[in-house]
Amino acid sequence: MTLRNTIEVVTRLAEKRVITNYAIAGAVAALNYIEPMLTDDLDILISLEGFEKHASGLLLLGPIEKALAQMGYTERTDVGYRIEGWPVQFLPVASPLDEEGLLEAVEVNVAEPGHPPLQARVLRAEHIVATALNVGRPKDIVRIQAFLEQNAVDLRQLKTVLDRHNLGEAWHALCLKTGVINPFEKS
Amino acid sequence: MPGLYPDNSEIFARKAEGRRQLAALSFAEKLAMLDRLRERVQPIVRAREERKKDIAARVAKDEAIR
Repeated sequence: MTLRNTIEVVTRLAEKRVITNYAIAGAVAALNYIEPMLTDDLDILISLEGFEKHASGLLLLGPIEKALAQMGYTERTDVGYRIEGWPVQFLPVASPLDEEGLLEAVEVNVAEPGHPPLQARVLRAEHIVATALNVGRPKDIVRIQAFLEQNAVDLRQLKTVLDRHNLGEAWHALCLKTGVINPFEKS
Repeated sequence: MPGLYPDNSEIFARKAEGRRQLAALSFAEKLAMLDRLRERVQPIVRAREERKKDIAARVAKDEAIR
């Protein structure tokens, strides 16, 4: 039971078209760019196509649940489904930023050395940072700082994303709050 | 006063270099590392869950008494 196996199950859901478009998000996506940090679960950003919307606006993830049950994964956790030992949370796109992140996600090989390649979609660094800024919990701020310290995000592309999604002010406020020198204001 | 405290900058520089080296590993290597990390903290997580259960049980008991 490994995280790689969990991701493989997600790729199978995509192959079966149970999820139309997906990208690994959150802490596991950040792994692709920065040093590993402990996380409790795997976040998967998914497109809305193929899911029924309840009158309340809630999206019903029945097709995922059904497909997972057919594959033998029936256990639920407090955050979602347990797949290969890892809690997995499927997060439908909830903003234009999510939508853009999903469209521009990159394919990354998650196979261990010596194994056949296994491509999975992962959010780009600038979308991970912009989303972390938008969410703004302490752990998101730590994540942003790690991206900056480890030069793991293209600042020009990040600025474009922040501007496009009106996150410039939030970015400025974050820099003031954390004492980080705003890289966009460096001379 | 200058010279009173040791200079820790080399230690921090080495830590930063260690972080950069970890960041440079492949995604697959980092996934495997995360599995190991998670396994290592499992006893702590289990203890936390047990504590949560104990607290919830105590709260429920106190409310029942009231």
